[in-house]
This record gives sequence, structure tokens and C-alpha cells, in this order.
Amino acid sequence: MTDYFEVHERDGAARLAELRLADPVTTPAVVDDHLADAGSLWPTERDVPAGDESVLTVLPHRGLPGGTPEEVAEAFAVDYPDVDYPSAAVVSTATAEDHGADAYVLSEAAGLVGHAEAFVEAVIETREAIPDDTALMLSGVATPRNVATLVYAGVDLVDRDRAVVRGTQGRYLTTDDAYFLEDLDELPCSCPACRKPREEFDRQDCVDHNVNALEAELARVRRRIRDGRLRDYVEGQARQDQWLTATMRRLDQQYAYLERHTPIYRREEITAATEDTMRRVEIQRFAQRVTERYRPRFDEQPLVIVPCSARKPYSDSQSHEQYHRAIQFRGHMASMTSPIGVVPQELELTYPAQHYDSVVTGRWSANEIEFVADVLEGYLDGTDYPEVIVHVPGEGYREICERVEERLDQSFTYTVEDHPTTADSLANLAGALEGYPKYRKRERQHNTLRAVADYQFGAGAGDEIFGDTLTAEGTYPQLRAHGERTDGGQGEQLAALTQQYGVLGLTIAGARRWVDSDVSVKRVAIDDFVPHGSVLAPGVVDAADEIRVGDEVVIEGPSAFGVGRATMPGPAMDEATRGIACQVRHVEEQ
Amino acid sequence: MSTPTPEVYEQGKGMDAHNKVMREVRSRNDASYDPREPTRVWLDEDNTPDGVYQSLTIILNTGGCRWARAGGCTMCGYVAESVDGGSVAHEDLMAQIQYCLDHEDEEADEKAGLIKIYTSGSFLDEREVGAETRRAIAETFADRDRIVVESLPDFVDREKVAEFVDAGLETDIAVGLETATDRVRRDCVNKYFDFSDFEDAAAQAQAAGGGVKAYLLMKPPFLTESEAIEDMQRSVRKCADVEGCHTVSMNPCNVQRYTMVEELFHDQGYRPPWLWSVCEVLESTADEDVIVVSDPVGHGSDRGPHNCGECDDRAQRAIKDFDLRQDPSVFEQVTCDCAATWNAVVEREASYSLPLAR
Repeated sequence: MTDYFEVHERDGAARLAELRLADPVTTPAVVDDHLADAGSLWPTERDVPAGDESVLTVLPHRGLPGGTPEEVAEAFAVDYPDVDYPSAAVVSTATAEDHGADAYVLSEAAGLVGHAEAFVEAVIETREAIPDDTALMLSGVATPRNVATLVYAGVDLVDRDRAVVRGTQGRYLTTDDAYFLEDLDELPCSCPACRKPREEFDRQDCVDHNVNALEAELARVRRRIRDGRLRDYVEGQARQDQWLTATMRRLDQQYAYLERHTPIYRREEITAATEDTMRRVEIQRFAQRVTERYRPRFDEQPLVIVPCSARKPYSDSQSHEQYHRAIQFRGHMASMTSPIGVVPQELELTYPAQHYDSVVTGRWSANEIEFVADVLEGYLDGTDYPEVIVHVPGEGYREICERVEERLDQSFTYTVEDHPTTADSLANLAGALEGYPKYRKRERQHNTLRAVADYQFGAGAGDEIFGDTLTAEGTYPQLRAHGERTDGGQGEQLAALTQQYGVLGLTIAGARRWVDSDVSVKRVAIDDFVPHGSVLAPGVVDAADEIRVGDEVVIEGPSAFGVGRATMPGPAMDEATRGIACQVRHVEEQ
Repeated sequence: MSTPTPEVYEQGKGMDAHNKVMREVRSRNDASYDPREPTRVWLDEDNTPDGVYQSLTIILNTGGCRWARAGGCTMCGYVAESVDGGSVAHEDLMAQIQYCLDHEDEEADEKAGLIKIYTSGSFLDEREVGAETRRAIAETFADRDRIVVESLPDFVDREKVAEFVDAGLETDIAVGLETATDRVRRDCVNKYFDFSDFEDAAAQAQAAGGGVKAYLLMKPPFLTESEAIEDMQRSVRKCADVEGCHTVSMNPCNVQRYTMVEELFHDQGYRPPWLWSVCEVLESTADEDVIVVSDPVGHGSDRGPHNCGECDDRAQRAIKDFDLRQDPSVFEQVTCDCAATWNAVVEREASYSLPLAR
């Protein structure tokens, strides 16, 4: 049972949590002052300490340092006692499993930092072997420069040891480097330790500064997790050391590990300022869902590919308004953008389509071109548009379209002379659409609701859940999905589109449709109670593995049927002993 | 609270695992050696109960340690230097002795008063060195003052020791005790005997008119710097209390090839002890009624005991100086900024943060 650690916020594999000691500690944090080491069993036998709630007690252990052969690790593995105070178990990748502790100290840490491949492998292996709602600690390794990446990988607790030792060695640690103190003619910091004349600043001051710098960086990291913006920070910060960049990239290759912990939507913007942004879960997930789940439902109109706009949603921008006036409902618009790829008009609200901001220079990198081309190819593959009209400027955009045109052996119609918003270009666009029928407003509304359902619940969900009696109420972007109109007026409400994230929130009726459909249901089975407001983790009997934070979930128990939104990934709901598993929107007794 | 069961580890299990791993690690070594040449031979100076002597040290190649063939000690790579086939004939061993005498003739002005013979195994194990060879060697060196031969405690018996005493030699048996803490010897070093076996061996040697010299190993794998220091301080004191044990040679662990320690070292899981730790133990046990010496091998290198790189030679000199004079004030002369780092490591390093500094 994990009684003394509770995860409050998740940002990818990083977590903002609480070490619930007598004086609680918000993590990630240095925990030197909150740790009581009961000692190593290598030199001597030890009794299980009395322990208390004021500290995290590291239970008597055998540290297994880097290079310990697996047979030796297993032969000397310690069976940890069950204790009723906050406790930490020391493990190696070979011995990590649920030992009933609140925290786990990975004893090969010293051999892992600096080696991206080994580090990523060990952290993932350990995190997957220990319960989700327990803390992972690495001792003796944290520095101001690496700690953001350590936390980003899934580390919760660190200590000051490395910062102190480096200080005694005359190394002045900052978030960007480990300077030789003797080489610094001025100190690039104004923490209390550094507020003295340079010539009086000695190695003890250097120790103090290093610790200050580490703690300040951790405060920043906590802030970033709260804001859901740690990845944006790490994309920059990891550049300060090669192994950190390699770690971030290797984690991107561990898509499943990061994806599981990445919410379906967030409030905050994604800063697309590096090529690594393309590898982010949010971007990859969107591309995957657009190409695999979404399908265009406008079949009489041609596809019109337009460039993205800085203003989001795109339809609010001046340029898109101009395209719209030229198209006049005769074409299905999809925006091409780096780093998102392709955004069909129905998904322009859907996270992260209106939640990113990229650095625009007009110069596309080879990777961007390749990525967007792949998405466009995946998007077009299997569609049946009467024509593909390309209304994009020259640089990058056009190259991508030509590449895809060649790959799919199709012929696109190009309508831009020099710039998409010039009168000539817009006239070309209108001309190219001549003769195509207009789609109706209602058709657009239905297609939008169905497209979001496909994106959110799985391929075909828009038809499966809403059936062929769908009616739309409200005005875009505040749309609601209802069932068949009755004599008295509106049909039963099934779902509402949230303007801010472009996802659907279901009603009880909508949830029942989902449960009755062939679409895979994200179900949270609960105990025999009727939840109001929220479902706490201990009340969860079983949760689908595929549930992600932000996912719409069906909450079902012997006496309740409800619908709500997940605030933990499914596996965490199963494992956690504390915390809110999901928020309940509607519930019925049954 | 539930009943604590921190100690579920079974004695045999750990040793089986160590042995299995060590056999595998050692099997990667495919070098073989000429049975007519000793593994090594060198001249030095040594402190003994009768004062400082010129010494001739011989590492005899006897086919290696029997224990090492089962797997053996986690830090010991000497087995890697043994001959193919596992045993060396009497003639070959005597050829090795002749080789050493020739070396002494060439390099030294006069014959060394002290002869030290190690086998990386047990000189007194008759499967390594037969009775005939043992007696011939005793005879060969009968004109010297003092002899030290290496053996595991099992093979130390009064009669064998008496052969050397009767040849007129002050005789010491060098025993690789490694530590007086049975648990550390068993779990960290993977050596099978107990401290009581060492006490018995000392009694046997003493009964024959000889003595024992305990070899201690500072910082086997899995111990922190502070645990290693405490282990050595306790071990020196316990050895000093053993009748017949007049000298302790406390040697910092180094990283030898084809050993488990090397596996740890390679994956950044092991750092040899700081020379400061050696100084600390020598200084803090100087008042014990036993000669304590140390001969750090490979000092100043990553694979050997080392400080920061700036002060290693000075620390090593102080240690060698202490070996000959047993005067703890020699350590007052050595200072370096890196002592602060060592202090931080001693204070902070935990079993789960090994090693905290390189």
C-alpha cells in the first residue's frame, strides 16, 4: 500500500506529487532532509527501524551498483518488511518489483547518468516494475543541468550529494555547464552564496551555490509540470549536454512509455521551436489519429489543401476567411502545418491543433518536409476525393505536395501564383472549384461531430455512436450532438463539443450509445457505490489499460452508471491507493 | 507492525551466484603462462617484528588457487595468471625459484634477509606445492633470516610450519583474511572461511614457533567508503588481539582483470578506495599493538586506490613512510583540497549511490 505518496499532476512521465510526511514535501524535490537511511545489509545485519511519519525511512537494504551481475543481484535481493510508516526500498533493475514501499531507490544510478541508452532503459524498466503511485529516487546524481531531464524521464526524488561533491571539487554547477571555479572571473549567478566578492568565493561557497542552483532548477521543473510545459523546457534545456539530448530523443523512441502518461489534451500551448517537437507524443498521436481514425465525409467536394495560419483556430484567421470566401462550401479544407502535419477542418479545434505555436521562417527542414509528407500521404491514402486542389505557397508546402503527388501517382491542381492570398491566387482557387456542389451547413456540423468522435473514440465511432439520426444543435464552435428530433423539438442530447480542446463530452445517453456500440469502450469498473463529483482510485475495481488522462470514460458499478473524464492513466487507476481517478460528469443509479 | 524479515538471504545462494559469475568472467581469459617462470619477482624493503629488512618477493606460479577454480574471490585476478592444466611439477617450481635467485643476483648487492613467497593460492596446500618441493624451498632459503609463505588457514598446520622454523628461519604465514567481519568476507569477497579459522591457523603457526601476517582488503565491492574504513579499523583491532598475529598488511582493493570487481568498475559501479581512507585507517589504528603496513598497488590510477590525481604520490609516500616507521605524524604532512571531497564522500556515500565520486 502506498499511503505516503500521491501523484497530483502528470506531464508525460514526469509527475508533480506529494510525499506525505508529517510535513508534506512537494516532489520532484531533493529529499536529503527528509530521509533516514536504516543502512546497508552488506557489512552487518540490521533490525527494521522503528520509523515514524516525519521522514522517509530507507529500509535496510543491499545496494546493487552498476555492473552487478543479475545472478548476484537476485541471490542477494532483500525481502522488504511491511511497515506502517513512509518507507523506501532500494532496488536495482534486476530486483525492482512491488515491495510495498512508498518510494524506490535505484541503486545503479551512478552508472546510468551520462549514458542515455542505459539510463532510459533502466528508468523505464524500473518504473514499469514498481507501482505507478510510488516515487522513484536516484541518489548521488542530480545536478542543476540534468535534473529537468531526470524528472522528465520519470524520476521523483533526488538528493544534494552530487551537487555537494562537485562543489568540493571546485566545479561550479549551473543549468548549462559544470564550470571550473578557477576559470570564472565573474560568477554567473546571484544566489545568496554568490553575493560576495569573487576573490572571497571558495569551494565551500561553491558547494552552497550548487545546492541553491539545484533547488532553484527543481522549483522551475515543478512549475513546468504544473503548467504541463516540461517538455517544452526540456527540448531546450537538454541541449546543454549531449547525453541529455540523447536521453530525450531515446525517450521519444519509447513512444509507448511516454504516450501512456501523456494527457489527451492540455490547456497550455506547445512551443514548436525545435525539430524534436515533431517527435512529441501529442504531435505523433494527432498524426496517427488523423491518418488512422479520422475519415473525411465530404465526398462530393474536392480536398483543398491550404497553409496553416498563426491565428488559431485557423477559421478565425484573415487568410482562412479569404480562402473560405473563395471556396464557398465547395471544397473540404485541410490545413498543412509543421509540426502537426494535416488538420482537416473538422478537427481544427481538437488538441493540439489550436494549441501550438511554431517558429516561422519560411525555411522548412528536410525532416519537417518528410514528416508532413508522410502524414499527407497517410491522410490521402484510401480517400476518394474527386480532386485535390493545392492552394499553398512555394516554399516547403509545395515541395511536400509534389512529393506526395508523385508517391501516390495522382495529379493535383495547383492554384497559387506567388502567394495564397493574392487576388490572382484566390481567383484561381474559386475557378478550380467551379462546378462542384456546395455542402450544407448541417452536413458540415454533422461531419464535425462525427470526425471528432472518430478521432477521440476510434475509427468509425462517429457513425457507431451517433447513428444515422444525428442532429446538431447550437452554433459552431459550440455544437451539441442530439438524437432524432421529436415532435416536441430537440432530440435527446448525446454529447457536446468543447470549444477549448475540440473533444466531445458525453451525456449518459451518449455513454449508453457508446457502450452499446462496437467501438472499444474505455471503462472504469467501480465498487458498489454511486460516485458524485469524482471517483477515487481505491474505488476503482478495474480500469482499461488504454485510458489516458483527459479521456472520456464510462464509469460502471453494481449500482451506478456514469460518464466522466479520466484524471489518471488506466494502469495508474488500478494501482493507485490514493488520488482522484476520474471526474464524474453525469451519473445514474442503477 | 508486521514481523521484520530483512534477512531471507540464504548463505549458499549468494556464494553460488558469486561463483557462477566469477567462473564465467574468468573463462573469458584465454592467456596461458610458462610453468618455468614465476608470475612475478621483485626486491623491496619490509617492516618486520625484527626491524626493516631487504626483501625478495616471489609470486610463484603453482597452477593457481583451488578456490578460484570454483569461482573464487570477487576481486582476485591472480588466478588469471596461472598455468594451463592446473598443476606445476616439482622441477618446474624449482626452476621458478632458480629464476628468482638469478634475478636477485643480478639486481641486488647482497642476499635479501627476508623471503616472501605467494602463490595466489596456498603454498601450504600440497595439491599446489608438494611436500618435496616445500622442503626443498625451505632448504634453499635456510641461509636467510626470515620467510613468509602464503596460505589459506585450512592448510596451516604445526608440522608444515615447523619445517621452516626448524630450518632456522623466522617464519610467518601470510593469510588472506581480507576482513575480520565474516559477513563482509563471505558476501562481498566471496571467501569461504571464518575469522575463527584464522584464529586457529594463528594458533597452529604459533605452536610451531612461527607467526601469522594478516592480509586485509580495504573496500571490497558493495561497501561504501565509510563502511570500508570502519571495516578495516575494526579488522585491524581484532587482528591485533589474535595471539601470534604480529603484522597486518592492509591493502586497498584494485581493479584486476577478469574479476567481478572489474565488471562493476566497467559499469561505473565500483571505485577503488581513496588513499585518504588508507591514511585514515593507518593513522587511527597506529596505537594498536600490531605492525600495520599497506602497499597500495596501482596508486593514482583509476583502477587502483587514488585521490584526486594531484596528491596521490604524496599520499603514497606517506603510507610507505608509515610502513617503515609506524609513525602516524607522517600523515600530517599531506594535505590537498580533495580531502574535502573525500570527507563529503565518507559522510554521504550510501550503498545505493555507489560510487559517489570517481
